[in-house]
Amino acid sequence: MKRTLDQTTVPFTRFGESWQNVLRITSIRILVQAAMFALFLSFVLLTTFANLDRLPGLRHWASKFLEIDPFIALAAAITTHTVYKGLLWSLVILVPTLFLGRFFCNWMCPYGTLHQFVGWLFRRPARTPNPSGAQEPDPANRPAAPVRQPWWRAANEYRPAQRFKYYLLVGLLVAAACGSLQIGLLDPLCLLYRSLTGAVLPAAQQPFSRLLGSGRLHQGAWLIGFLLFVLVAMNLVYPRFFCRVLCPLGALLGVLARFAWWRIDRDPARCRGCDRCRLDCEGACDPHAELRRAECFVCFNCIEECPEGALRFAFFPPKEREVAGPDLARRQVVFAGLTGLLFYPFVRTTGRATRDFSSRVIRPPGAVEELELLERCVKCAQCVRVCPTNVIQPAWFEAGVEGLWTPVLNFRIGHCQLHCTACGYVCPTGAIQRVTVPHKLGLGEYVDQGPIRLGTAHIDVGRCLPYSAGIACQVCEEVCPTSPKAIRARYRMRRGRRGRGAESAERDDAPPVPTVDLGLCIGCGLCERECPVVGDRRAIYVTAEGETRSQEYPERDRNRAVRVPSQR
Amino acid sequence: MAEPRWTRRELLTRGAGAVLGGGAAVAGGYLLYDPKGDRGLPRWQPRLGLKNFFAQIDLPAGHPRLSVAVGPEHRTEELVRAAVGGLDPALGLRRFVQPGDVVLIKPNVGFDRPPHVGATTNPEVLRWIIRLCREAGAREILVTDNPIESPQACFSRSGIAAAVETEGAKVVLPAPAQFELVLLGQPQARSRAPGTAAAWPVLYRPLDRATKLIGVAPIKDHNLSSASMTLKNWYGLLGGRRHQLHQTIHEAISDLAALLSPTLVIADGTRVMLHNGPTGGRVSDVRPGGQLGRPVLVASVDPVACDAWCYQRLLGRDPAALDYLRLAEQKIQARVAAGERRFGQRDWLAYDRAGQVVTTTL
Repeated sequence: MKRTLDQTTVPFTRFGESWQNVLRITSIRILVQAAMFALFLSFVLLTTFANLDRLPGLRHWASKFLEIDPFIALAAAITTHTVYKGLLWSLVILVPTLFLGRFFCNWMCPYGTLHQFVGWLFRRPARTPNPSGAQEPDPANRPAAPVRQPWWRAANEYRPAQRFKYYLLVGLLVAAACGSLQIGLLDPLCLLYRSLTGAVLPAAQQPFSRLLGSGRLHQGAWLIGFLLFVLVAMNLVYPRFFCRVLCPLGALLGVLARFAWWRIDRDPARCRGCDRCRLDCEGACDPHAELRRAECFVCFNCIEECPEGALRFAFFPPKEREVAGPDLARRQVVFAGLTGLLFYPFVRTTGRATRDFSSRVIRPPGAVEELELLERCVKCAQCVRVCPTNVIQPAWFEAGVEGLWTPVLNFRIGHCQLHCTACGYVCPTGAIQRVTVPHKLGLGEYVDQGPIRLGTAHIDVGRCLPYSAGIACQVCEEVCPTSPKAIRARYRMRRGRRGRGAESAERDDAPPVPTVDLGLCIGCGLCERECPVVGDRRAIYVTAEGETRSQEYPERDRNRAVRVPSQR
Repeated sequence: MAEPRWTRRELLTRGAGAVLGGGAAVAGGYLLYDPKGDRGLPRWQPRLGLKNFFAQIDLPAGHPRLSVAVGPEHRTEELVRAAVGGLDPALGLRRFVQPGDVVLIKPNVGFDRPPHVGATTNPEVLRWIIRLCREAGAREILVTDNPIESPQACFSRSGIAAAVETEGAKVVLPAPAQFELVLLGQPQARSRAPGTAAAWPVLYRPLDRATKLIGVAPIKDHNLSSASMTLKNWYGLLGGRRHQLHQTIHEAISDLAALLSPTLVIADGTRVMLHNGPTGGRVSDVRPGGQLGRPVLVASVDPVACDAWCYQRLLGRDPAALDYLRLAEQKIQARVAAGERRFGQRDWLAYDRAGQVVTTTL
């Protein structure tokens, strides 16, 4: 290959000459990434009940960052055959990807930015700048398989492991087609939101709990935090491990990038084969050879690095210089699909979502019926974040394997506040519907259908103080927020020592005992939270029985233990 | 290549390092030595009492002790001025609040309820009390309560936060740093009944900062203690799982009645909750002025008499049958006998006979 002298001596400036750096495309990219990360973080920080109360407009914006996620929109469209409200915003990402490739991954994704930043912060100082590139092997006689390369170069080399994310994508989408939405486990936005809400922010608040109020508690926070830590720490051994190998959203965008009009293109006439373009290649997409468009994050680092000016972001560049689609083996795709296909009957065979439900799985007000919920919930934990009383918790395995990190109510930590419907407002997928306060309480036009019941309170007479110890208490009655109160003190008629006939005459001298009116109880859990019997099981506790969301689905054989009489 | 033999300097520095390090370890071990194992435990040391917010008030002997103002609710300002003014027609609130005072106002913000259902203190009444304090020259006005539900939501929904903020006073939210253990009742009563604790976390910081304390309580039916009035209102200063005290609720309320000696209490009878208390939730649970039928505000320097009056006149029940009033009277009188300057008697008719009950009708 012949090269003219002027092509080989394009000046290589890197953080050299001052103000021009500011205008470099990579500098602009870093600014955009920082702004997007800040935006995501501020959405997370702003999404609290107090802020929604103060700034009513915020409720329409709070979940915007999750709503632009095309993977959520697509998978939820597969499960529900609808695109829920704000999810139409995902077109903002989806359509440009069809023209530009995976720009989202390195320009917008806050999780990608976190990985890139941590990788940059801790990377090994193994670079030996070699501006002229003269000692590099000529591309013509470059060895086919280099024996040993410097770490940084090996690190950014395309590896077959990167196919794994496509198999994950296929498996998750097939499971979604069956009716089990599991994408939230690995979708980067859900994963990051959940990690910040469930582990990072409450942990950061802990040292200041005496001043700011006792921090929020989240069941299973250790696993959520540990997962974040491991995935981020992987960057020290495998740069952008999550983005390259695991991210199913990245895989989806990679598939879409096949149609992109623009891509990074290498001019072989100019390239001297110095491989410097792989130095900071984020996607490991082989810019030094045929570009793998499905892997390219459009970070522009390669263009920035190239001393020859051989790389550019080109409009419809020659077809032969690219690998258009992801490099997949058909058998493995089929196998991934089969895995997703088998996952569904196996988890549903447990019966956790239907007959063998756990009565402790109490869902937030406005939550749809369990099977519908499993089609919608993306485990993003926005509802967990916004809940003013901390009662909404990411589930452990009480709702089955499928229900991991879906929202459940823990009444030992909080209770469902009567006039609050914040969780439904921030839910991006409608797993918790946007109900209004009159709807929740069964007022006004909702008077006929009555309040939304989350479950029913039951009294453990073996532990309840008036029942078991004859001690006056009635705290559950005091705090019961319904009007008239669903918990009422009653004097017990006791079968007296004088025998059966005397029972109506003899009233127990013990204090009155609480009783629950099943027609009035809405399962808000305030009684359970406030019960002075504080053991691992309170003397009054709420179960999911009688919950409104299941009443309309009798055929699903769930939650019919308590037939709730009409309220009035 | 290092020098293979030890130099004197090396020998000395290394030797001295070992001696000093060893000495420090021995000294540290000796200083921190804890043969019994209880040195590292926190001390159970509750505060033994709260300051008497009434002691410094210069109230002549014959002055009214109980002042009732009756009038329509839209004339809240006049109602508040009349109720407080009844205690001292010349000075009004200036009798109780002097320039430079830090006034702590304790409303009832217990539940996440809108103001019209009467579960919380009427924010308009609170607004005018804050304004009167400001007129009297108070340097700082604090408003605090420890609600049962999320504090932010309760303060916001009840309209109290808005009233307090627009009047330039300050809400003190019940963060853990605001609480300290305070002895309720008598020390020897520590084990008198299950569920009764002698020391309990109390919203101590704002009480400590304040120089004057005003309780502003709505009058409500209460499922367990029969009525929530100005004395039950002090429950809102407790932290912890305070519902455990409910097992001996009359003892608990009367202990609080003895512990807290407010400058002034104001009973808010604008919306009296007659049933389904203390939460209510429907307008039908509430009646303006209760049995009296017209909105009422009662200001008093004797919380026990104030509660007895409200219990009888607003809720239509017999104060002689209310245990916590009897116990509160006993406990306060014991303190009066020990030399404390404060009032506490159930028999408001005795005040009436002495001409110390003033009624203003608008």
